[in-house]
Amino acid sequence: MENRLRDMAEAARKALREATSLDELEEARIKYLGRSGLLREIQQGIRDIAEELRPQVGRMINETRNELERLLEKRREALEAGRVHERAGTDRIDVTLPGRAQRVAGRHPLLATLDDMLEIFLGLGYTIAEGPEVETYYYGFEALNYPADHPAMDEQMTFYVTDDMLLRSQTSTVQIRVMERTKPPVRVVVPGRCFRRDTLDATHSHTFHQLEGLCVDEGITFADLKGTLLAFARGMFGEEAQVRFRPDFFPFTEPSAEFAVTCFVCSGEGCRVCSGTGWIELGGAGMVDPNVLEGVGYDTERYTGFAFGVGIERFAMNRYGIPDMRLLYSGDMRLLRQF
Amino acid sequence: MRVPYTWLLEYLKTEIPAEELAEVLTMGGLEVEEVEEWTSADGEATDQVLLTSVTSNRGDLLSMVGVARHAAALLDCEFEMPDYHIPAIENPNRADADLTQGDSRITIEDHEGCPRYSALRLVGVEVRESPQWMRHRLEAAGVRPINNVVDATNYVLWELGQPLHAFDHKLLVDGHIIVRRAEPGEKLVTIDGVTRELTRDDLVIADPKGPVALAGVMGGTDTEMRDRTKNVLLESAHFNPTMIRRTAQRLGLSTEASYRFERHVDPNLTLPGMARAAKLIEQMAGGDVAGPAMDVRREEFAPRSIEMRPARTNYVLGTELPTDEQVELLERIEFEVKREKLEQPEGLEQAWLRPVPESAQAAERLTVRVPTSRPDIEREIDLIEEIAIIHGYNNIPTTLPVNTSGAGTRTRLQKLEQRASEVMRAAGLCENISYSMMGSRDLDFLCIPEDARERETLCLRDPAAENQELMRTTLLPGLLSAAQRNVHQRVEDVALFEIGRVFIDRGELQLPAEEKRLSAITLGSARTSTWNLPDQYEKMDFFWLKGVIEQLLERLHIKDASFERAEHPSMHPGRTARIIVDGEAVGYIGEAAPDVQKTYDLPEPAVLVEIDFDTLLDHAHLLAQYEPQPRMPAAIRDVALVVNDDEKHTAARLVNVAEQHGGEFLQEVRVFDVYTDAERLGENRKSVAMRLTFRHPERTLRDEEVDEAVNRITNQLRRKLGAEVRTW
Repeated sequence: MENRLRDMAEAARKALREATSLDELEEARIKYLGRSGLLREIQQGIRDIAEELRPQVGRMINETRNELERLLEKRREALEAGRVHERAGTDRIDVTLPGRAQRVAGRHPLLATLDDMLEIFLGLGYTIAEGPEVETYYYGFEALNYPADHPAMDEQMTFYVTDDMLLRSQTSTVQIRVMERTKPPVRVVVPGRCFRRDTLDATHSHTFHQLEGLCVDEGITFADLKGTLLAFARGMFGEEAQVRFRPDFFPFTEPSAEFAVTCFVCSGEGCRVCSGTGWIELGGAGMVDPNVLEGVGYDTERYTGFAFGVGIERFAMNRYGIPDMRLLYSGDMRLLRQF
Repeated sequence: MRVPYTWLLEYLKTEIPAEELAEVLTMGGLEVEEVEEWTSADGEATDQVLLTSVTSNRGDLLSMVGVARHAAALLDCEFEMPDYHIPAIENPNRADADLTQGDSRITIEDHEGCPRYSALRLVGVEVRESPQWMRHRLEAAGVRPINNVVDATNYVLWELGQPLHAFDHKLLVDGHIIVRRAEPGEKLVTIDGVTRELTRDDLVIADPKGPVALAGVMGGTDTEMRDRTKNVLLESAHFNPTMIRRTAQRLGLSTEASYRFERHVDPNLTLPGMARAAKLIEQMAGGDVAGPAMDVRREEFAPRSIEMRPARTNYVLGTELPTDEQVELLERIEFEVKREKLEQPEGLEQAWLRPVPESAQAAERLTVRVPTSRPDIEREIDLIEEIAIIHGYNNIPTTLPVNTSGAGTRTRLQKLEQRASEVMRAAGLCENISYSMMGSRDLDFLCIPEDARERETLCLRDPAAENQELMRTTLLPGLLSAAQRNVHQRVEDVALFEIGRVFIDRGELQLPAEEKRLSAITLGSARTSTWNLPDQYEKMDFFWLKGVIEQLLERLHIKDASFERAEHPSMHPGRTARIIVDGEAVGYIGEAAPDVQKTYDLPEPAVLVEIDFDTLLDHAHLLAQYEPQPRMPAAIRDVALVVNDDEKHTAARLVNVAEQHGGEFLQEVRVFDVYTDAERLGENRKSVAMRLTFRHPERTLRDEEVDEAVNRITNQLRRKLGAEVRTW
């Protein structure tokens, strides 16, 4: 009898566990636990066994019933849950339809480039200044130590409004305005629009952006200029970047330099982006000319300083692989949505 | 300038290959843009040509000898001048500036324009084609060979940098050269065949009959060299850079000569230039120098002496260059240096001067004699730059300055501008950057009236292009044109904004007002896709963009903002609002006026925003203060009001009345539904549903209190606006 019970229990467990639907489960319940099920049958057989064994067998039967009922309940829950899921499964959406979110726009590539530049200089202790885009001749040329009627002015290709009013051709004009209102030490960067009478094409624009930097203090050296621009280049291009300085001429700096960074595409090997030179020219720089410092009333013996200017358009174009400068000013949604 | 390599090596004693030399020169301040492989037209000569780009301060590098001298300094190698012999000279330093010699006479009337005029007469020359070596050299330099005499002058211009001019002596009236200002209206036919009308600003070479050459720019046809010329007057003069520049600019005539004079030619080069050319002419065309050369000038052109402190070099450059080395570097560029030990350090004892390794240096002074070929060297700092260049910029240390300025931060306004851009972008509008110029046509397109502030424009004297003659006074043309371009590219959804400057004219005596604007345009949908969406969820219509602006105001922590019906010339008369912040108008939002929509060829009404950004930011706050969460529950009542659908019964008006009469516990009034239904509500009636939220800070409000407040509100709405009220 005990064997029969054990065999039945084993079979019942299996049937309950393996029932794949509520119907099958019900079938198993009736078969094993039902009013005239197998367990009942075994229970009725108890009368045929010895009196003294009955309590033990009875306990075994009850334990088995409890166990099977727990199993039945567990299985029923599982199957019911499955059925809800199955029902929900018929309530379907096409998950491959496109999303309908509100669009979010990114930063304009030119301004994103500028932001990164500003970030570096903020970290080096610079503040950000702005100045007028329409300037007087004084700020545009005279205070920047341009000799009157000098060929250096030809390069600026300046737009004039009147003899004395012009569109600034470089952000250097703001150097003067900042120094006029600030005593040293001075550390500023000046982002802004500049204008030159250039014909619009893929690499030229009559409207363009520059970032100017100015640092004046006791004992500022050309070596400091080099270190600052190296820090800038590494901030923009990574720790491997190198900078190169070669002499150039600007009336408002002396010594003056043009500075370049190792090409970020080929790391100096020479490629299309750097025209095979391994270097990408970034801008002009130099020690602020004593005439400029004197013009704003600084003690030129005591204070020295450096200034630099970086064009932003070409920088951004190289960075994002934008082939035509005009695209930056196009307002083309297909371009702007990419960044 | 084209610098043929083999020609250069005539003066430069080195074997460095052209490509390497190019690199040395570039790093030494003479940029070589390219090394060109050159073959002569007859195929018989080849060379490499260095294409240099000379900065405007270095006129001395505009010759083969100048380049060679500089390269020799950089390479620290030998340099050799070409062969010439300065002949006997008559008349140096005579004050009357008038010299007659044989059948020639020179008179300088304008000393400012012409500080020195040297000349030489050659007789019995035979004009013909130059020998092949000469033609090849000039060809490599990019100069067209003419004849042996003219070629000699061009050769010397290239070699030494001294522009020369050869006159046919016979064709000069009385053999008399007069250097003077042109008379107004005087004319001269230059050798390019163009008749030039001259002014008082032009310096001319004349004979007693009239101008024969534009001084320092170009000769005249009447006196130029002919094939049968026998006697030559060879001019080798020094002209005032500014005057030459003005004439060249006014006439739009830039020549090899004027280019050099503008950048200053060594005044002591007139005699070597003349002598060298004479030697070449004698060699190629025969003939003899007739009599002593003439040299008319009032003064000597002596080298300049400049004092410098070696310690200052190190102070400026951040180097530790010993005096010996500095002296050596200066001597390499042919500057003469005199050293002097000072008893007392002069002007260098200040504590801030960085100590130099050898303390004696601070007490040293150099006196440097600068050759007249370098007018750009005038001050101590100029000498320091020369030392830096010859030493090599890349041999100067790399350091970071000590920061005594403190932290670098953005200003309040810069942070607010950043935030405004972030909000606009988070709403899906892309940043636009458009040109700062526009045309008056653009203002017409926008229907801007003649007396509007936008018409107070700044006009460029020399615009870059048509319809770009004005500085913009509004950002709308840039945005509308961008929208139009997008539409033409079949881009349906356009959402652009720009934060940029406009320029309002304030007359010639004052710079214009530069004001920042924030403007925007939307067209189409804001969503990535719109399948199954009803229109009002899909379109970036007036209320969509208004919502964005409200978000912007909220993020700038502007509390008091409202919108009222208004008119704007470029916007739809019935669908435009003025944006008011703390009682101050800051801008407009509205659908593009039908005319504007049509002009820009837009498929549907775009929505435009124009905000005076500076004023907006006056009212903005970077930080908000925390407001504690309400502890007590709110009582909420919805009311529906049926009112006339007209100008008087705006949502703002209804809300306003409710707020006025809602009592102290009314927290918020929000419109949540509006509809019109002629059948149910009657003609020209609309239903406006409002949600009223009441709250007491410390206790739960009783129903009676709330009911009373709602009744007060509805009574007033009924009385003031004739509203039928339904509550539920």
